[in-house]
Amino acid sequence: MYLANLLRFMSIAGALLLSFWGGWLHLRYVGGASPDPFDVFRTVLFAVAVFWLAWGASIGFIGLLGRPMKARSASRGIPTGRTAILMPVYNEDTVATLARIAVMNRGLVALGAADRFHFVVLSDSTAADIAAREIVMFERLLREPLAMGRMFYRRRDKNLGRKAGNIEDFVTRAGGAYDYALVLDADSLMEPATIIEMACRMDDDATLGLLQSVPSIVGAQSLFGRCLQFGVAYLSPTFSRGVAAMQGREGPYWGHNAIIRITAFAGSCGLPVLSGRAPSGGHILSHDFVEGALLARDGWTVVLDPTLTGSYEEGPDNLIEFAKRDRRWCQGNLQHRRLLRAPGLRFWSRFNLLHGLMSYLTSPLWLLLLSANVTAAIYDAPPVDSAIEPDSVWLLISAVAAILLLPKLLVFLVGVFDGTNRQFGGNFATLRSLLAEIVLSTLLAPIMLLFQSRAVIQTVLGIDGGWPAAQRSGEVVSVQEAVTATWWMSLCGGAAIVIMLALTPDLFIWLAPVTVPSSLAPLLIALSSRAFASRWWFESPNEAPAGIVEQYRAFKADLSEKRPAFVEPTQPQIATQVAA
Amino acid sequence: MKHEGYSAFVAALPDAPMAMPKQVLEPPKRFAWMFRFVFARLSRA
Repeated sequence: MYLANLLRFMSIAGALLLSFWGGWLHLRYVGGASPDPFDVFRTVLFAVAVFWLAWGASIGFIGLLGRPMKARSASRGIPTGRTAILMPVYNEDTVATLARIAVMNRGLVALGAADRFHFVVLSDSTAADIAAREIVMFERLLREPLAMGRMFYRRRDKNLGRKAGNIEDFVTRAGGAYDYALVLDADSLMEPATIIEMACRMDDDATLGLLQSVPSIVGAQSLFGRCLQFGVAYLSPTFSRGVAAMQGREGPYWGHNAIIRITAFAGSCGLPVLSGRAPSGGHILSHDFVEGALLARDGWTVVLDPTLTGSYEEGPDNLIEFAKRDRRWCQGNLQHRRLLRAPGLRFWSRFNLLHGLMSYLTSPLWLLLLSANVTAAIYDAPPVDSAIEPDSVWLLISAVAAILLLPKLLVFLVGVFDGTNRQFGGNFATLRSLLAEIVLSTLLAPIMLLFQSRAVIQTVLGIDGGWPAAQRSGEVVSVQEAVTATWWMSLCGGAAIVIMLALTPDLFIWLAPVTVPSSLAPLLIALSSRAFASRWWFESPNEAPAGIVEQYRAFKADLSEKRPAFVEPTQPQIATQVAA
Repeated sequence: MKHEGYSAFVAALPDAPMAMPKQVLEPPKRFAWMFRFVFARLSRA
């Protein structure tokens, strides 16, 4: 705990120092010896944005300092506690859901742990045809080994409280029958040995309230998806180590691929409905962060363990889907401002909530800063008495670039020496992929900045984003669809280019990395959503991992061949289910 | 099998209810009465 506190202090102090130093240089550059209030305003924006950038980078540096932890042995026998494996679904692909449950069950049966683990499908599906398919899926699932008495399915009439309400409904109805619950997402997949290991860890430590694994992304097909998959596979072990080192006993909960102690969860995590209307009030959307904080508030240990391998999920395969998910998360995280002063929360839990909030607020902050700088360039003459040397300006620019790029490049250097790069095709292939990841994420960053800024504005204006179903399988976005979603970005980006070329041509080149990708947003989104199978870029061990993912793919392919007979319910079947 | 609140319920779950008390998350609004008083005065004026 002392080490965690020391690391927290170092990361926050380091980020503050960098932010003050950057702010001071910025103020002297834009305001000279006598800055006006507008210069101070711009500087405050800059300093706040730099603080959060620097703090994010410090997680990477701390992760790099720690040695890669060895995964614990998974051959620990059978846990004594009983675990319910919860699979909440909301209008999902039923074939994929069935295949995931079936292969995890087969693995647990093969390891002789079947009687310790039950599977519960918690359906909140609203589409009648999907609900009918789910019943057919579940009846097929009951034919799996040792399924009878170990697999359950229920669908709620109303989706009260969304996913958090779905799980609460399970706990209040049947939680007393289990010691632990392994919470999954509909796209989650976990190695049976990892599931057993997590339950054993709960057996071993009676104070452990929640154990979170770090899911890797699998199944990406498109350029965007594979870039994301590579980035997570290559960089997240380091960043997760950084988060884990700073967490102490108040680690984050990400809502899935985590095991919880049911008595702890029931006693600490009953979420109230916030006063007022959505999006500010109502049900808590980003419930996972809050539940983790509540467990820690009551003295339970909440741990993120990056050594737990064999934990998988699927990611969005195009930027539109990514932004849709982000819109939901944005609304949820902004709602957390109501909880920052919640009674009894630990300091680090509050800081985590604040970080979640700021991860979205910094986007409009950057946008405001850019707009303010353009406005200043048009209306404000540059200070004649600029108080700093041009070298210092370059130093400032280099510092911001280093914050963004250095952790990634250091991960590469460490990978050269510890052999990690071999899993990604060797040093040359890894460097190629990493540079491509940096280029693509730089190109798409202004688009995400605009999406997030819009999401923040919509949330502040009280526009509820709702709860759109996730589209898990990759689909190509046509240029027309991309134009419909992002025409306003092209308009803003194009207008900014015209204004700058006409009024401040010197500034154009500096802001081109933001304005050009924004004006080309539909094209970039459409192109990056296309299937991209080249081995030249983004090779990673997550392309075709052996074990549970391979078994899942084979099982799903086998089912899909039998789809007409099994998956597509007949109209009378649908009618029966809807009537029931 | 039909249960209240559920559209479908296949293979009945164990009947083992567990209480999940609602947590207090919003800080007490200590000065709410003051704001109400000021707004009431302002609206009258």
